[in-house]
Amino acid sequence: MKRLDRTIILFILGLSLVTINCGKKSSSDISTELLPLEKNPLVCIKVVLNIGSADDPAGKEGLSALTFKMLSDGGSEKLTYKEITQNFYPMAAYIDMQMDKEMTVFSGTIHKDNLDPYYFILKDMLLNPGFREEDFIRIKTSHLNFLQKTLVNNMDETLGKEILNLMMYKEHPYGHTELGTVSSVKSLTLNDVRNHYENHFVQGNLTIGIAGGYPSDFPNKVLSDFSVLPKGRTPELILPDQQMPDGLNFVIADKNTPATAISIGFPLPITKSHPDFFALWIAASHFGEHRQHLSHLFQKIREERGQNYGDYAYIEHFMEGRGKFPATNYCRQRQYFSIWIRPLANSNRHFVLRQTIRELKKLIEEGIPEKRFELTKNYLVNYTKLYTQTLSERLGWQIDSKYYGTKDFLREARERIPKVKLEEVNSAIRKYLNYKNLCIAVVTQDAESFKEDLVANTPSPITYSNPNMPEEILREDLVIQEFPLDIKLENVTTAIASQFFVDTGIPSNRK
Amino acid sequence: MIKNLWAALTSLVLLMFPLFSSASDVFPYDYKIDKLENGLTVVSIPMDNPYIISYYTIVRSGSRNEIEPGKSGFAHFFEHMMFKGTKNIPREEYDNFLTELGAGTNGYTSDDYTCYFVVFAGQENLEKVVKTEADRFINLHYNQETLKTEAAVIEGEYYSSVSNPGRRLYETLRHTAFEKHPYKHTTLGYLKDIQDMPNQFEYSQLYKKRFYAPDNTILLVVGDYNHQELIEFVKKYYSVWEPSNYKLKTPVEPAQKDAKRSHYQWPGPTTPRIAVAFHGPAFSDEKIDKAALDLLAEIGFSPSSPLYQRLVVEEQKCFSLYADFPDRREPHLLTFNALVKEKEDLPYVEEEIFKELELYKNELIPEDKLEAVKSNLKYSMARQFGTTDGTAGILAFYINLTTDPNSINKLFDLYQNIASQNIREMAQKYFIKTNSTVVTLTGGEEK
Repeated sequence: MKRLDRTIILFILGLSLVTINCGKKSSSDISTELLPLEKNPLVCIKVVLNIGSADDPAGKEGLSALTFKMLSDGGSEKLTYKEITQNFYPMAAYIDMQMDKEMTVFSGTIHKDNLDPYYFILKDMLLNPGFREEDFIRIKTSHLNFLQKTLVNNMDETLGKEILNLMMYKEHPYGHTELGTVSSVKSLTLNDVRNHYENHFVQGNLTIGIAGGYPSDFPNKVLSDFSVLPKGRTPELILPDQQMPDGLNFVIADKNTPATAISIGFPLPITKSHPDFFALWIAASHFGEHRQHLSHLFQKIREERGQNYGDYAYIEHFMEGRGKFPATNYCRQRQYFSIWIRPLANSNRHFVLRQTIRELKKLIEEGIPEKRFELTKNYLVNYTKLYTQTLSERLGWQIDSKYYGTKDFLREARERIPKVKLEEVNSAIRKYLNYKNLCIAVVTQDAESFKEDLVANTPSPITYSNPNMPEEILREDLVIQEFPLDIKLENVTTAIASQFFVDTGIPSNRK
Repeated sequence: MIKNLWAALTSLVLLMFPLFSSASDVFPYDYKIDKLENGLTVVSIPMDNPYIISYYTIVRSGSRNEIEPGKSGFAHFFEHMMFKGTKNIPREEYDNFLTELGAGTNGYTSDDYTCYFVVFAGQENLEKVVKTEADRFINLHYNQETLKTEAAVIEGEYYSSVSNPGRRLYETLRHTAFEKHPYKHTTLGYLKDIQDMPNQFEYSQLYKKRFYAPDNTILLVVGDYNHQELIEFVKKYYSVWEPSNYKLKTPVEPAQKDAKRSHYQWPGPTTPRIAVAFHGPAFSDEKIDKAALDLLAEIGFSPSSPLYQRLVVEEQKCFSLYADFPDRREPHLLTFNALVKEKEDLPYVEEEIFKELELYKNELIPEDKLEAVKSNLKYSMARQFGTTDGTAGILAFYINLTTDPNSINKLFDLYQNIASQNIREMAQKYFIKTNSTVVTLTGGEEK
């Protein structure tokens, strides 16, 4: 769906460009989201830009991240970065920048005593960026270091997730990390950054959210200040159709490690805007609720067998926020289903992979047990009440609700989930999930040996330090260790971990 | 005109410092403390925050309590075992209860304490939560098989961070800097001890008997409930819990006599790191030593500091520079960390850190910088108190240290009264070369 389509839907719903709480000045193209809480001593400000890494020009992957990091971590025209940190320091102030495929957010929470001086600097940083050469070099070097050393060597779970992203979104605007590639970032110039800012930091791309104990005239002041930006908006982002994987596709990153990280996934055709979302959400929560005992995968892999620290499943791009709750403002037109298997001993990688795909098969073929269905529904209705405790969370969900065309997504969820029927959930599982066409990203040691085992369907028995494992589990293990996976040689790519993210796409086979 | 505007802004920022009427009102809520006959302390903070209740159980036992050889990581391991259920409420029933409640629940282990929390909505659920949590702490039940399986999970948790060089550096630093005190190992423990956990069933029973007792535990409840009702429930369900009366004697760390140094060679490519550490004082809300060094660490190494600006922003030798000085019940390390761009610059960065510390031993910090850091600390703390859970999390930490919720206010009173001379004295007292440990980490070649 193009952005234009989404805008039309929102307009039809009467939500587009008209703010729910206060509206906006007719002279401005900037949207606002307000959450006044008079007694709250804090104020949270979010400046949301409808631009992300998917808007990077071809060959300049990472440009959005570098450009907008220059705003949050560089000086303004009048103040150097040093002066900004010194001015912010007594207020314990900061500006966070988070970026995803289609959204960039600048945010900060400040005591209301300090709102005026804080906002004065924030506004200056975003509206009059300094774009100094020294800031550019510092931030660019930091991004390159992350791509060349940290991501490929020092964070295997994140590496697995990023490789999964490469696999699911080949030749797609989503198909590179937010920071870009080593070669693309090296090619970026300060001029590229200036132009990207001028092209995209415009009124029509902005939503400004304000929550907390701010003065009543503050939103109008902000809107007036930001309306010095040029009018207009970035042309609608047209995303190509999603390509489902054909068969079981593997990309294995080889590195010196005692533990294997696995991420599994495939594109999904629905988002929070879709009526089937709630049914599929119940299914995902049952199957793999993030870092909760409720997760069926967690129970089977960790609790019963002690294989690793945790195992989860998602129907959206998931970023963890405070207290393990989902972070907000990672809105996307396209979503994906994924399973996150946390690192486990290399010797058990084949077994756990088989077990995971077998559990997915069982979910699709057998559906959710009725008792678990009711439990999961009650869980979601209550658990979502915990999502909105901080100002930033409340404002974040308000912004996300609008993006997906609902007035209050969490409230709607709590109203609709109890009404969802078991058959609707099982039907959604069958409709949207599958176990035969998967992208599987693996970070492990001796990738070639693993590749051979996978293609040959070599049995993969495991052993336990507990000599008295329950008979029921050992019987099931006999089935799992032989569980056939139809893996074709040509569908398994292996590459040395450090070869990733040098250029766009997946490195070719190492041999 | 523009220059005047910015000058005005700067003075506005500086005039803002008297931000709270006194330092003592940093913690903004009233609290009530009750103590049961068996020694269980209950700290209660009813708050006007709709629906949400944060129910924290703080056991004052962490990796500091792992005094026997071969038992590193046991406090954390036992935290995992606490989720295994009781004969009254088996694990599955416990999990289902919390799931039905939609509670945010988990535990975490630190050097000094282990904390379990249940965050949930609706005061009508309070009694059931009190009853269920009391049952699990009083009647925890598991067998050898359960313990062996959970021990494997701990190894899996170790694997989750196995690719993180920062963790290896930290492990090496503690192992090098400490000789006898259990702070020598991290909360997760040594890998060899983790791998021996399946054989530690008997020790786990001893560990529970020693530390999982009401006289070593504090309940902290924050949120939307009736205080009297809470106390009635707590008395009803926790009174049968038997005290332990165990007195822990942690080994005393001998004074360091010579400067120490260690290096960790990371097998693959990675960004070079350095940690320069000094043995420092324990947390105190009465003595100024730690508080004064807290201020120094901020003034000297936060992003607004001269050294950070020089090494990270101007010379761009480092990607980051920061100080780490955790509040602990017994003396811990004040560490200055840097992520360095080129390994050839490690000696230079080390030298600059030592030179900077030497400066604070000889010169007085200007008053405006001192006021700025005091202001920063207060506003940073104020931001934590916006939610029940944020409040409970911060308070749990301070309660673990002293058992007194007022420690936060007392600490900020201390900060308020610290003068530049105090900081110079503390720099002279602690930043001695023979009291230092330097650890570096560099990477190897690509595979």
